[in-house]
Amino acid sequence: MFHTFHRCRTYLTLLASALLILAATPFDALAQKDSPDIPTVSNVVAIQGVRIIQAPGRVIESGTVVFRDGVIEAVGRRVDIPYDASVIDGSDLSVYAGFIDALTNVGVPEPKQQTGAPPSVPDRSNPTFERAGITPEKDVRVLLDPSDKSVGAHRKIGFTTVHTVPYGRMLPGMTAIALLTGDDAASMIYSDATATMFKFQGARGVYPGTPMAIMAKFRQLYKEADRRNHLESMYREDPVGMVRPPYDPVHSAFIPVIEGDQRVFAFTDDALEIHRALNLKEELGIDMVLTGLSAGFDAIDRISETAVPVALTLGVPEKPKWAAKIKKDSLDQILGSYTDDTRTATFRDVEAERRNLEAKQLISRARYLGMPAAYEEAGIAFAFTSYGVKTSEIRSNLREFIEGGLSEDAALAALTTNAADLLGLSASMGTVEEGKIANLIVTAGDLFDKETKIKFVFVDGHKYEIKSPSKSDDKDKDKDEDERRDKDR
Amino acid sequence: MNTKTVYSVGQSLLLLLFVAQFATAQNVVIRNATVLSITNGTLENTDVLIAGGIITEIGTDIRAPRGTQEVDATGKFLMPGIVDAHSHIALSSINEGSSPVTAEVSMEDVVNPYHLGIYRALAGGVTTSHTMHGSANVIGGQNETIKHRWGVTDPDDLRFDGAPRTIKFALGENPTRTHGRRASGGTGAIVPSTRMGVEQVLRSSFENGKRYMEAWDDYHLKVATDSRAIPPVYNGRLEVMADIIRGNILVHCHSYRADEILMLTRVLADYGVRNITFQHANEAFKVAPELAAFGAHASVFSDWWSYKFEVYYSTSYNAAILMRNGIVTSINSDSGELNRHLFHEAGKSQRYGGLTDDEALSMITINPAIQLGIQDRVGSIEIGKDGDVVIFDSHPLSVYAIPEMTFVEGKKYFDRFEDADDMRMEVSPTAEIGMYEGQITGRDRFNHDGEIINFFELFGQETTLNFEDN
Amino acid sequence: MNLLLTLILATLNLFQTGQQQDQKARQGLYAITNARIETVSDGTIENGTVLIEGDRIVAVGENVVIPASATIIDGTGLRVYPGMIDSGTQLALTEVGSVQETNDTNEVGDVTPHMDALTAVNPNAVAIPITRVAGITTVITEPGGGLLPGLAAMINLFGYTPEQMQAGGVKLLVLQFPTKPRAGGGFRRFGGGERPDPDKAYNNALDKLNEIWDRAELYDRIVTEYTASPAGKTQPVYAPEMDAIRPVIRGDRKLMLKVSAEKDILAALDWVKERELTNVVFSGVSEGWRVADKLAEAGIACIVGPILATPTRSSDRYDRAYANVGMLVEAGVKVAIRTGEGDNVRNLPFNAGFAAAYGLGKEAALRAVTLGPAEIFGIDADYGSISVGKKANLFISDGDPFETSTNILALFIDGFNVPIESRQIDLYREFLNRDEGRLTPVEVLPADH
Repeated sequence: MFHTFHRCRTYLTLLASALLILAATPFDALAQKDSPDIPTVSNVVAIQGVRIIQAPGRVIESGTVVFRDGVIEAVGRRVDIPYDASVIDGSDLSVYAGFIDALTNVGVPEPKQQTGAPPSVPDRSNPTFERAGITPEKDVRVLLDPSDKSVGAHRKIGFTTVHTVPYGRMLPGMTAIALLTGDDAASMIYSDATATMFKFQGARGVYPGTPMAIMAKFRQLYKEADRRNHLESMYREDPVGMVRPPYDPVHSAFIPVIEGDQRVFAFTDDALEIHRALNLKEELGIDMVLTGLSAGFDAIDRISETAVPVALTLGVPEKPKWAAKIKKDSLDQILGSYTDDTRTATFRDVEAERRNLEAKQLISRARYLGMPAAYEEAGIAFAFTSYGVKTSEIRSNLREFIEGGLSEDAALAALTTNAADLLGLSASMGTVEEGKIANLIVTAGDLFDKETKIKFVFVDGHKYEIKSPSKSDDKDKDKDEDERRDKDR
Repeated sequence: MNTKTVYSVGQSLLLLLFVAQFATAQNVVIRNATVLSITNGTLENTDVLIAGGIITEIGTDIRAPRGTQEVDATGKFLMPGIVDAHSHIALSSINEGSSPVTAEVSMEDVVNPYHLGIYRALAGGVTTSHTMHGSANVIGGQNETIKHRWGVTDPDDLRFDGAPRTIKFALGENPTRTHGRRASGGTGAIVPSTRMGVEQVLRSSFENGKRYMEAWDDYHLKVATDSRAIPPVYNGRLEVMADIIRGNILVHCHSYRADEILMLTRVLADYGVRNITFQHANEAFKVAPELAAFGAHASVFSDWWSYKFEVYYSTSYNAAILMRNGIVTSINSDSGELNRHLFHEAGKSQRYGGLTDDEALSMITINPAIQLGIQDRVGSIEIGKDGDVVIFDSHPLSVYAIPEMTFVEGKKYFDRFEDADDMRMEVSPTAEIGMYEGQITGRDRFNHDGEIINFFELFGQETTLNFEDN
Repeated sequence: MNLLLTLILATLNLFQTGQQQDQKARQGLYAITNARIETVSDGTIENGTVLIEGDRIVAVGENVVIPASATIIDGTGLRVYPGMIDSGTQLALTEVGSVQETNDTNEVGDVTPHMDALTAVNPNAVAIPITRVAGITTVITEPGGGLLPGLAAMINLFGYTPEQMQAGGVKLLVLQFPTKPRAGGGFRRFGGGERPDPDKAYNNALDKLNEIWDRAELYDRIVTEYTASPAGKTQPVYAPEMDAIRPVIRGDRKLMLKVSAEKDILAALDWVKERELTNVVFSGVSEGWRVADKLAEAGIACIVGPILATPTRSSDRYDRAYANVGMLVEAGVKVAIRTGEGDNVRNLPFNAGFAAAYGLGKEAALRAVTLGPAEIFGIDADYGSISVGKKANLFISDGDPFETSTNILALFIDGFNVPIESRQIDLYREFLNRDEGRLTPVEVLPADH
């Protein structure tokens, strides 16, 4: 017993010291998800004296946010803090609603990249659905993995909710809303079978490979599914004497779309794909959401007219190599000497031609960077999608959009309130308001500033402390960081 | 926003639209040119007035409405905008080569208005192009007739409204190599690998299309009285075959050998299809009497030969022989290089067969228009036709002729003197500047097979060898 | 009367002595009279005579005494031109593009400078008559494929053996100068996959070239020394590749350096200077206009073409390829025009015509396909113009041979009066009125239709 008592004493000393330390420090490290062996002592968190951006344009300069069991209990300038709350001192901090990604693969482990020749098929004109990249029946829920690197990487930059979809080609499958938290797939899932995804990526080596075949195949599946739907309802009404309607999961996956119960999220990678997707929408009467819209500045008018919901890409074109080395004032000089009417008459004009081409390229790049601003100006509400974009580049891309004219309010809206609207989540997400889910970003400074560090992210009330990376985050070389790219592309 | 505001905003918008309509419907009068009307001879020192996009008056000292753009064409030549009956420009993709029959796909879905080839062809006097599916398949996809309205961004805005639907067939070496003789990507060969196979693919497609059409006709009769009638399976491919049989789609068939050309006439006759334009048809001259009797048309090269064995026994006199035998013949480009000087290609029929000026020019104007079913709209300078015209500094059949201005529906889209050098619509934000990109030359006919999708050969990458992509 | 018949009669009328036009090409004593002669070297003779004897032009002028035994060709209303020269083709080395067995241009391997194209010239290539009836009498035909694909040869388009066809003994060493990475495709997919380092491939190719050349220079020293005094020395190693390069290093054989892109041309200029090569011609040169001043300064002649091609860059003016050769001449570069064709070399005059229209001018364009290349290749003593003492390579036309409406009516190569015949003309004759000879009717379409 002697040694037990001795150890008992050591333990008590340690506990006493710990308590003292804890009492002294304002931060409660106990609820950190990265230390699951430490028991939780409180389900209530209060962030006190913090700047609260409830929604774009709605700011409480200094107030308190209280949330319990993952639901926001109170938000305001003066709020009673429950006795059992673990309190976070919010001085010099700001709190925002967590970001919502309108379409992504985050949470789905990336399949191994296929190299070499595509696997052979007996008849490439008539491959299996799987081989053709047509898997609309695939459910993302069974593929989710909260320990996948992409989850942490996305969360680290402020995303709390994702609308995620399986990897795939033309029809990758059904999407789900997932929260970037949880110990298992089931705990991530917020809602199911939200939508189905479509993109213009053809099958490798078999039908359909080209965009025109993809469109023809889509129409074919849709129309045949429509026929089967009709047959199925006839059969349900009265099966007597009727041949059993044919069935396969692929065609059946279209029926909710035909009935108007499920939307199609179409991903477009250039201006032409936007028109093509909209043509399909109009032709077949599909309830469609457009995502991506890279180079969508040329289609603003049509998008405005059709009033189709949109989620713009968070990606920007790579900076041209020559521009990377040049200082900003030289770039301004180049733009200054730009003329629309290039005439290169002889070898003597080659120098001037080059400068003009450089200016043209900068102007072209500016169009891409200015696209969200252009949509804002056109009065089109949009969300953002990180589909196909490296997570490590998202924050710096956002800054470029803002430099390109996008207001910070619109940027925030795109990542929060607009995204929630788009996905039908406004009742529970998108703002820092009583009753909503505790999906929050806590920053030391203005969210979109280059220098600002994100201190905490709360997902469903669970706290994640964000350790600051060694360099500024647009050159993040952190090995754990998630290379979110659709490798199939 | 209250109702009053909405109303006044609406009115302003309407006014804007009204004004905009006038702005786009161009009025232009081209004065004092030598007008090569094609169908009504050559008219010296003549004015042509285009109003609302249509040729409204041809004569001398025309009084033009106020605000009409004036163009002095003294000493110059005016001809109708060139119609290219075989092109692959302005497309994001050309060949869906995974199946020998892909009637369900359509070039309409993949039109690319950003393609610089549209402008470059305008600089060569082309105003209408028949941009086509490639020749990898026996029955390829549907083609699209477009107007060269350079500058639009919506693909639908390039459409030649009202142009009949057309479809691409292909016979001979291309489909037999793609599907039968080249077991690529690890997949097995499929029919056809011989010209015999090509015939059977055609016949089975037509027969299945016919039965499909009959099944659906039956169903439509039945369902009128029996609401529980079962509709046949929907098949987009056979829908198109049925449309061909119904006569709603014009067939344009890539073909070379005389025997395969005749084979197709037999198959078409069996299904009651008479409207056919043989494309390339290098050996058509050997069966000119048969083609004339069938009423077939031909759209040929000026002088391409020997790039494949099936064109080894060609002659550059093909166009002249066909024309002299009463066949509606056109000369096409099938190339983003050739389409810039089709007026010169047409001129070759004077060296190879002694055609007259009007005969030569008809091969790039009214004849291709007939083959595309748009002869009421374009192909000659006549009152009522679209204001698609080209001003040349000298007679277009001279090798020294330089196109100076090209108009589509009265709007000027090409001006040799006013246009900047760099006419790109899209500029890559990332590509390195000052790079040599490559050239399309006449040697490109050796890449005629480059029309075929090479996604079998290229590991993990789907690309179409789009030789227009320069 | 149909036009073909008119043409045949017109051709027959040229022979006033009543001699039958037969299919055999014959040398002899010919007098082309009352014609407009475009000499190229000495301007235009409005109304003159060209006297041909054996393989030479023996008299040209307004007052030429015509021997009684001469075959007279009445050139009233017609023109005489020097036979055209295409300075870059694959003619007679290839028959059908897609049939590999018929293509002899590309040998296996990157370093095959000793491959002699003349050996593989097929005097019976179907394309030869098709080409010469357009007035082209002489071409350079080139091997292709690797870095040093072989020796190009200059051939006349008439002869029963390659040796008979060989013109002026001209052989050139072809060097396909390494190319810097070209522009990649597609710009919308940003964040795309890794590409193999393009600069690496270029540097490797350039290193390889320099390695080859270093060894060739060494080989030259060895062989020179050995040849001077072989006594007591071991024989030099057998290196046929080096034997082919050696004359170039000694300046006795012309190097045909194929290069097109601006950056490559600059690199090639540096390389040529570094290697102290003076007997060099550049071929292709599609972006030559960008560095025209440097080409002129270096005094390197350029074989330019094809002219009928799209611009090299999408930002380029639409007519740049047409105007390129004119811009080079304006800057002071000596030029010749090439088509680069294997079977449609007959389009050389049209390439020249477009170049003329877009800045080169008619006179310079004609020179670029006649005396220009003759001078560049050092055979202007025998070729390139209608001058006394030169080879009788010429043609008679009813107009400007660059115009498509012009007909070529007679052709002389090496003094042979080559018939205006080709398989394509034969097919025309046979099929213009295919059923002309038929008396018994036949259903054009099978009975069941």
